[in-house]
Amino acid sequence: MSPKEIKYKLALFTRKTRLTFIIEKIRVKYVDYLTAALEIILSATVGFLIAAILLYFMGYDPYEVFSILFRYGYGNIGYLLSKSVPYIMTAMAFSIPSLAGVFNIGGESQLYVGAFVALLVTYYTVNPVLGLLAGIVAGGGLGLFISILRVYRNINEVIAAIMINWTIYFLMVYLITGIFYDPKIPHQSIQVPKSAWLGEFLSPWGRIKVSFVLAVIGALVIYYILYYTNLGYLLRVSGLSPLSARYAGYNPKKAVLYSMLLGGAMAGLGGALLIIGDVHNIDSTMSTLYGLGFTGIGIGLLGRNHPIGIIFAAIFFSGLMIGGQWVELKTGAPPQLTDTIIGIIVIALAIPYAYRMLISMIRRWRMK
Amino acid sequence: MIEDAINMLSNTLTTMTPLVLAGVGEIITERSGVVNIGLEGIFILSSFTAAVVTFYTGNPYYGLFIGILVGTLSGILHGFVSVYLRGDQIIAGVGYNSLAYGLSLMMMIALWQNYGQSPKVEKIPSLAIQVTEGSTIIISPITILAILIAIGVWWWLFKTSSGLKLRACGEDPRAAEAMGVNVFRTRFYATVLGATLTGIGGAYLVVGWIGQFTKFISAGRGFIALANVAFSNWNPLMAIVGGFVFGFFDALSIYLPIKLQSEFGGIFTAEANLFRTIPYVATLVIVAIIMKKIKTPRALGKPYIKE
Repeated sequence: MSPKEIKYKLALFTRKTRLTFIIEKIRVKYVDYLTAALEIILSATVGFLIAAILLYFMGYDPYEVFSILFRYGYGNIGYLLSKSVPYIMTAMAFSIPSLAGVFNIGGESQLYVGAFVALLVTYYTVNPVLGLLAGIVAGGGLGLFISILRVYRNINEVIAAIMINWTIYFLMVYLITGIFYDPKIPHQSIQVPKSAWLGEFLSPWGRIKVSFVLAVIGALVIYYILYYTNLGYLLRVSGLSPLSARYAGYNPKKAVLYSMLLGGAMAGLGGALLIIGDVHNIDSTMSTLYGLGFTGIGIGLLGRNHPIGIIFAAIFFSGLMIGGQWVELKTGAPPQLTDTIIGIIVIALAIPYAYRMLISMIRRWRMK
Repeated sequence: MIEDAINMLSNTLTTMTPLVLAGVGEIITERSGVVNIGLEGIFILSSFTAAVVTFYTGNPYYGLFIGILVGTLSGILHGFVSVYLRGDQIIAGVGYNSLAYGLSLMMMIALWQNYGQSPKVEKIPSLAIQVTEGSTIIISPITILAILIAIGVWWWLFKTSSGLKLRACGEDPRAAEAMGVNVFRTRFYATVLGATLTGIGGAYLVVGWIGQFTKFISAGRGFIALANVAFSNWNPLMAIVGGFVFGFFDALSIYLPIKLQSEFGGIFTAEANLFRTIPYVATLVIVAIIMKKIKTPRALGKPYIKE
């Protein structure tokens, strides 16, 4: 064999292996995505199925309820997207720490402080940008506080977050009803001045709120940080295996602190966007804010902790929320139906092992 | 002054009961290696079903029974998901909390068309001990039961061989398996038992204490019970002390505004909310002080995978 021939064969060989390697890589990813999609679909199906059984026993027609839920829930695109804004952000507040191995259940209170601080700042400065920044700082600060307790005092972050959630809840109710109430409408807080409102613009799909665009930009920034920067790599490695992170010279404690700071900041931004861009005040029972953080956990899981997935999951859940209210208007079935469906979906999402078993069972059955 | 102390003691005995029951239940569960963060959900669902059954039968003991049964069923669900399906225990617990909250509120609205609370129901009669004139200690039989259960569980966990086997599953499941312990089954039963005790606590909220179901009936108590588990260092006897400490601040948040109002006159409106933060801030501070010194079961929260 001449050297030229060898060179040619070698080149052919490397190209071939490289190609098979790439194909293999795509194949693996494709299998991952397929399993993920299957898990999500199965979980949602289980959720709706159990909800249907419940509805049936409560004396409602499940078919009618679900057709109203989907027809009205996803009917008005502009409303749907604006509703999804806080959910995108609280889901991110759960998912970023989750990637780093921390369980942030405090998205609820981080959103509260973000909303409240943003309200105060825009009320006094009439500047929405300052308001948004203040919301980010407030939420991030609270997130950081929880992670400091976890890292330096070894406090379980779930317990700390729940205690802080309730403390902030009652503190906010006090501040809204006791100090910052609207003199004209006493059961509401002061209002964001009209000139500081984030507006909306016309698009082929109807009126879209600026806050939604900002939320999507926020999600994209997080996507960039998580997958294209050193910091994101640190977070993900520490989450997957704190031990190997330490071997590689990373400090997993830093990952906990940064992830909670980022997560809290996102929840705070969510609260700020909601107040400045959408509702403009907080009512004295906090019904506009209550539950947004908890629902965010389910959305983060459904979006598989991926910022892009979260946007779609948030839109999906928002539709359920809107649809749930229409269901109440049309059939009288309580809107908490949506909470129940979400709860069941989340439990179903906790058991990927069961789905993997199911898939391998199907595979074995097909081999026979 | 002495009357205040006695009243506070009486109130604390009331508020500590669910914390002790759920705390001891969770100690059993966590000692076997499973975390059940759904205590809050069990409180909500058990108290709701207890309220429904008591409302329709007029007998609080039936309510108590159903509340316990709901706790057992919740334990079976969580045990199945986290032990046999190897699910993520934290996520399953969070999902259960959301499910229990949604389900109870949904049924409450469907049954009574009320968004805030259920109608008043019968309560299990409490024992009243007159100490001085104008102050009595009111103690529910369930409180006494809770303390007895805690002592019994301590004896079982630390003085019997089956208790040792259970603790082995939480420390080193592989070694336990080699010893001939069925890790799956032990963890499953421990989860069911823990949830059952939490169910008693949930039913107590309605039939032993408040006398009706409200939207915020639990208000984070399930998580204070979790804090109690860490406070007690996974020891049921210390869980009684922890229940007393956390319960004290809960009682204080109720008693203090009433006392201040009667002393100085006037009625708190918005300020009342500030008093309600007391138990949460106190829990956080106490946990922050003691948390450095505790020792968690080593295999806690990790699904056991047989080779």
